[in-house]
Amino acid sequence: MIQWIAWKDLLSELRSRENISSMFFFALIVILIFSFSFSMDAKSSRELMPGIIWIAFGFTGIIGLGKSFLAEVHNDCMEYFQMLPVPKGAIYLGKFAGNALFMLIVEIILFPMFILFFNLDVLEKTPMILLISLAATIGLSALGTLFSALTVQIRAREVMFPILLLPLAVPIFIGAVEATRGVFNGDPLPLYLDWIKLLIVFDLIFVTISFWVFEFILDY
Amino acid sequence: MIVSRLIARLQRYEGWFGVAAGLLIMVGLYMGLVTSSPDYYQGEVVRIMYIHVPAAQSAMFAYTVLFGGSVWYLWKRDPIVDNMSHAAAGIGVFFTLVALITGSIWAKPTWNTWWTWDPRLISFAIMLLILVGYLMLRTFLEDKEKEATYAAIIAIIGFVDLPIIHFSVEWWRTLHQPLSISTRGVSIARDMLIPLLLMSVGFYLLFAYMLMVRTQMLYLQHLLEAKRGRMLSKVHL
Repeated sequence: MIQWIAWKDLLSELRSRENISSMFFFALIVILIFSFSFSMDAKSSRELMPGIIWIAFGFTGIIGLGKSFLAEVHNDCMEYFQMLPVPKGAIYLGKFAGNALFMLIVEIILFPMFILFFNLDVLEKTPMILLISLAATIGLSALGTLFSALTVQIRAREVMFPILLLPLAVPIFIGAVEATRGVFNGDPLPLYLDWIKLLIVFDLIFVTISFWVFEFILDY
Repeated sequence: MIVSRLIARLQRYEGWFGVAAGLLIMVGLYMGLVTSSPDYYQGEVVRIMYIHVPAAQSAMFAYTVLFGGSVWYLWKRDPIVDNMSHAAAGIGVFFTLVALITGSIWAKPTWNTWWTWDPRLISFAIMLLILVGYLMLRTFLEDKEKEATYAAIIAIIGFVDLPIIHFSVEWWRTLHQPLSISTRGVSIARDMLIPLLLMSVGFYLLFAYMLMVRTQMLYLQHLLEAKRGRMLSKVHL
């Protein structure tokens, strides 16, 4: 059941192209604004880039994640979720896997644009960046999926979603930015391994808790 | 229902909590501001500690009560516990703000800055954001039962997240620069310890008093809404 929900989400996102194009253009605007705001030489771009990348990824993710349950609400599918003969947590895991994959796809599309616009010289470091992105994306979508289910049926959904998500996602942003900075600086792995560990611990804790509390969100 | 009975029993002595809190805080303030000696290093500035430290303790206690209440609510669905959690969050915002503002005033003369990116400060600021988000979420939900459940979930996740935030910020700072603020020694003069203890206990009692009054107010408010007859079946009491 998990993989079917994830597959359905991914397929509908990629087919409608509504979210993916709005996320793409939003990220493009973020990149352009940052490049206007800071004059980038090689040194300052190494300093600022990790932060800029994760602000762009994080905000772009918020656009996608916030709408994660919207299609279900519009098509009256929330009730059907309750009828599925699986534990409620499985629905969460499916939505979460779909969101994480989708976010990762968007990040993989966006990352070459950073290399292009900011003249980053990180091609050989791509596997490490990918690993960090994976860890951070899992954490962000774990929280984001839960809060999306929480806020989707209330008034002022667009306001409440980032207000709830961003304070709690602080450790992800710190961990991802610091690990990315380590990679960009060409530091040896042990220097920033702790940050990746922090991201993984965070992922584990939040997937577990969300899995457990999701039952209460659907079950009213 | 155990909790409701406990609350009902405690409420009989509610007034005494308020009186005791008031007395302790008055005596503690007098001793702290007038009779205790100024600090060897910080001089008279240290006296803000007698408000700052108890406020911070009460804020953390409020958050612990909120977490406990939220877990209990999800488990037992006891509506009065939800009212208590709601009350604890509101009072928590008050104490967190007092702690942050007095801390800022204290930081200016001692650290020569209003704000620094210290783990404890950041965790407190984020705790404030979580509490405000919690209260905002509650205002946007019509269905009382849904409101209680969703709010409880936010409170639980926030409570688990706070230590992670604290440690991640601690690492973030310590990996890049030496710790600029070290914790001061635990040895504290007796004439400073006694007013501090009095204030601490006074603030805890004040919190308990505020919690009881506010819980009743919220309960009565829900009762009133129900009695008005509007959406009678939907109101969660």
